[in-house]
Amino acid sequence: MEQTSQLKLKAPSKLEHIIFSKWVVYLLLTPALIVLIGVFFIPMLLMLVQSLTDEQSNFTLANYALFFSEPFYWGVLWQTIKLSTFTVLGALILSYPVAMFMAQSKGKIRAIVTFLVLLPHLVSVVIRNFGWTIILNDRGMINTILLEAGIIDQPLRLMYNELGTVIGLVDSFVAYMILAIATSLYTINPSLYKAGAIMGANKVRNFISITLPLSLPGVYSGIVLVFSLSMSAFVTPTLLGGTSVKVMPALTYQQIMFTLNWPLGAAISFILLGTTIFLVSTFTKVTETKRYKVVFKS
Amino acid sequence: MQYDVELKNIKKQFNKQDVVKGFNLQVKKGEFISFLGPSGCGKTTTLNMLAGFLDPSEGELFIKGKRMNNIPPYKRELGMVFQTYSLFPHMTVFENVAYGLKLRKKPKAEIESRVRKVLELVQLPHLHDRFPNQLSGGQRQRIAIARALVTEPSILLLDEPLSNLDAKLRVELRDELKRLHKQLGVTTIFVTHDQEEALSLSDRIVVMSHGNIEQIGTPNEIYNQPKSEFVHTFIGQTNQFEGNIKSINGSQIQILSKDGVVFNTVVSDSRFQVGESVNLFIRPESIFLGKEHNNSLDTACIQGKIKLVTFLGSITEYHVAIGDHDLVVRTQQPQKEWIEGADVLCCWNIENQLLIRREM
Ligand SMILES: Nc1ncnc2c1ncn2[C@@H]1O[C@H](COP(=O)(O)OP(=O)(O)O)[C@@H](O)[C@H]1O
Ligand SMILES: [Mg+2]
Repeated sequence: MEQTSQLKLKAPSKLEHIIFSKWVVYLLLTPALIVLIGVFFIPMLLMLVQSLTDEQSNFTLANYALFFSEPFYWGVLWQTIKLSTFTVLGALILSYPVAMFMAQSKGKIRAIVTFLVLLPHLVSVVIRNFGWTIILNDRGMINTILLEAGIIDQPLRLMYNELGTVIGLVDSFVAYMILAIATSLYTINPSLYKAGAIMGANKVRNFISITLPLSLPGVYSGIVLVFSLSMSAFVTPTLLGGTSVKVMPALTYQQIMFTLNWPLGAAISFILLGTTIFLVSTFTKVTETKRYKVVFKS
Repeated sequence: MQYDVELKNIKKQFNKQDVVKGFNLQVKKGEFISFLGPSGCGKTTTLNMLAGFLDPSEGELFIKGKRMNNIPPYKRELGMVFQTYSLFPHMTVFENVAYGLKLRKKPKAEIESRVRKVLELVQLPHLHDRFPNQLSGGQRQRIAIARALVTEPSILLLDEPLSNLDAKLRVELRDELKRLHKQLGVTTIFVTHDQEEALSLSDRIVVMSHGNIEQIGTPNEIYNQPKSEFVHTFIGQTNQFEGNIKSINGSQIQILSKDGVVFNTVVSDSRFQVGESVNLFIRPESIFLGKEHNNSLDTACIQGKIKLVTFLGSITEYHVAIGDHDLVVRTQQPQKEWIEGADVLCCWNIENQLLIRREM
């Protein structure tokens, strides 16, 4: 019959065979691979070698030993971790309500809010940090208002300290957290809330037993993202932290650009990388319980 | 008498558009009621008002005699099953079913025994520790039913619970619902667009279209005595005659059909006038074939010639030519002499026909 023959799938042509063969796929990946190997893996390898050799090009762990024997250095590591943790907490608290609002709104409003969340990222982080300087400094907007209103009589120290750094970091990275949480909230089937309500749960109860647990994948990936970004942030801690805040990326920069101690700078940056990987993978191991894997990964 | 559910002139508008236009219904204890209508006719909206997810724009709503307007869903003590299963994906089967009892702060031992009992009731006693994504569609819906029943709700609401299942499972679960209703006697409101489901399950069916109730009646009444053109055409199959009223003699009416055939019928009231355009509807199952008019007053007959005979197993379908028109007749008792080309008289009881004025 004629009709059935029309339903048959057309056999792939020779051209299609060529286009979809795996060799072509590898070929298309090659430029990206070359760039990645050339400007990322090879320099990383060189840095690693440098951190592990002395002036006579002999193997040594001296640079790493120096880092851990000097309280000043691991104080910097500790401060970096601390600032990143506070940044994660701040971003989490600010993000959740925004993400919930986005999940509850539809169409146009959701699009507008998404745009507003991303808008600050169209401006360079340096400019945004200077913006914060205008707001936070001793004669900045906040202090002026509070002084004029007579609420305080000494300006509050809002920047050139850890507080200012965390404010700046939260501002830089909160969008990632918002979008990560919102994305997982979007996937919650709204009839789950109806099911909860009809079984006797009020809004608060529904939030605790439905929204919160089902948003965990977004929360976790938001935490990992913001934490990693904060650990490696350089500009904001430098501009808003001032001299009292010292973080690992700034320490690396200082060793390489001013002290010209490349091996130590390289070692510091690998210690930072190792610490971040260790903390993130521990976090993932702890949070991804057996139940979590069954529910979200299958 | 106190009804389990009573809806008094319930209306709902969305953006000034009437979606439910005056819904009146009284449901007795233990009844199985279906809302049947095409997609978009307002079934879910009505059910959601009953559940408390939507507030009616107008009208009053009573459950067990208690006025329910403005009472939130979590205080209504209802059970509900949704089209999209809606099990909590992060809870095991046990936790899902136990959830309502936990909210009611029942002791642990009681929760365990009640969950076990209700899982046996839906014939899935062995799946306690599975998560919803480890269950098949049919199993999920059974668990959802168990979850809705475990709190012993006063009313069970079902919003197209079978629509996401494949055909075989749908029939299986339909029978299961019937058995559960028989066993538990819980007052049930079942929303569906599937006439077979409604006809096979319900004590009474509410046929809806465009936010209106077209007819409320037992499956038998709905099928055999449809009261509107919509019910006639939406449910089952029907024959339609277009024609004009030629003469009226008391309750006897003579109709001249569009293709030139004249026949007599009887109506119980005298709403009609000579010359009016009318439509007559009659179901294939309501027509019986014969040779002679039995001359009883409540029978209408029309002469035709058999054009086509189709044997369909338990029933046989005849296409009878009436003028240029084909009348479809179905019977479970075919006769030998009804062969293609034979002259037959097609008769029906007038209470099965619907005669209405045709809108111009
Ligand atoms: N929240 C809403 N806002 C606006 N219109 C709605 C809303 N919910 C339903 N409707 C409209 O009301 C009508 C009835 O919907 P619904 O009750 O879901 O129909 P059914 O369940 O019978 O398929 C549809 O035309 C639908 O588009
Ligand atoms: Mg619906």
